[in-house]
Amino acid sequence: MIEVKYFGAVAEKTKCEFEKIPFSEVSLQQLLQDLEIKYQFDSLSFSVAVNQKIVPKTIDYKLQTSDVVALLPPFAGG
Amino acid sequence: MNDSTRYNRQIILPEIGEAGQYKLSKAKVLIIGAGGLGAAVLPYLAAAGVGEIGIVDDDVIEVSNLQRQVIYKTSAVGNYKVDEAKAMVSELNPLVKVNAIAEKLSGKNAIFLFEQYDIVVDATDNLSIKYLINDACLVTNKPMVYGSIFRFQGQVSVFNYQSGPTYRCLYPDENSQSLNCTDAGVIGISVGIIGMLQANEIIKMILEIGEVLSGKILVYNVLNNEQQKYDFEKNTIAKLDKKTFEEKYKVTENQIEEIDAEVILNEIDNDEVLFLDVRNEEELPKLNFKNGIQIPLIKLENEIEKLNPNNTIYIYCQSGIRSNIAAELLQKKNFKNVKSIVGGALALSQIVKEKIAD
Repeated sequence: MIEVKYFGAVAEKTKCEFEKIPFSEVSLQQLLQDLEIKYQFDSLSFSVAVNQKIVPKTIDYKLQTSDVVALLPPFAGG
Repeated sequence: MNDSTRYNRQIILPEIGEAGQYKLSKAKVLIIGAGGLGAAVLPYLAAAGVGEIGIVDDDVIEVSNLQRQVIYKTSAVGNYKVDEAKAMVSELNPLVKVNAIAEKLSGKNAIFLFEQYDIVVDATDNLSIKYLINDACLVTNKPMVYGSIFRFQGQVSVFNYQSGPTYRCLYPDENSQSLNCTDAGVIGISVGIIGMLQANEIIKMILEIGEVLSGKILVYNVLNNEQQKYDFEKNTIAKLDKKTFEEKYKVTENQIEEIDAEVILNEIDNDEVLFLDVRNEEELPKLNFKNGIQIPLIKLENEIEKLNPNNTIYIYCQSGIRSNIAAELLQKKNFKNVKSIVGGALALSQIVKEKIAD
């Protein structure tokens, strides 16, 4: 399983703060595209972390089982 | 009462001592924003004896601020936040020098202000100003203590600490959007906790103790008390010289904000918005907005007192050219939120017709 965590406005779109996704040999890029189709993030901007480390969105990374991916949008309130 | 009595309980901490207290007394911290975060950061820095604190904010206190901006009193509604904040500190700790700066931070004043302090605190409530603070911190080589809120979640980090990663390394997309507290809602405790975490980073940096949240963003959720830290690296060419900075921000500041006529339709009944027609009286089509006023462009400068600089003003003319000139004029006169309607009255009347036909 891969765990995906959502924060801020992204979690409001997904209506959950995390979900487990059955592991299949996908790239991070593919996972992000699948999530985009599922949740229609549209103009929402966010950074992506794998295992507590922010990675470039364009990174060529093959997800491993038990990886934790997080989508972190910027917050603006204060 | 001497100073060491006041600060005794922190001086007796081995990590602080008289030497640490001396560092605090010599430190200069600039807080951008005297809202929820600023109101949490400020009293703790002042009480701890930070020597000099600047506060930048051009807002006045509104009654809807009091639920979370806990340093302000009900009787102070309508007063400048920075003046009230300064008065609060002088009662709390008269040893602290406070500079109340009732200005909006911009590309024009940021460098000058930042140069006079050691640490800059981002206690603001919108995204674009965070890029400005980040960039001005790069030019002046100051650390930026970041805090921000989305509903029940908050983020904290320290950027550009000893040339470490910056806000742009974490969030490179300058055009992204996120709701602020006014639009998204917030409880006072969330901003309080995040402001307190910012104050903690500031004190640690001054005292050179502990680990600073550099290259790490802490995300806190007050509903379940979960907190996570994410690492990030320096990934932009984080050098920025003063000339590049000035070109970037002078240019953007002089830009007129334009708004599409379609977007306006939703605001026609908004009492907070004024529709300003800068055409001459005889020009057609006439548009009757509930909150409308007509001041021909040629008379605008002389009749400017008819307008409230704090209002949101949407300006239109026939096609959208004169309204740009009018918007520029009002911006120069310190009107904060003016927008020029693209396509002017012609576009507006077309859309209104379509709406009626629907």
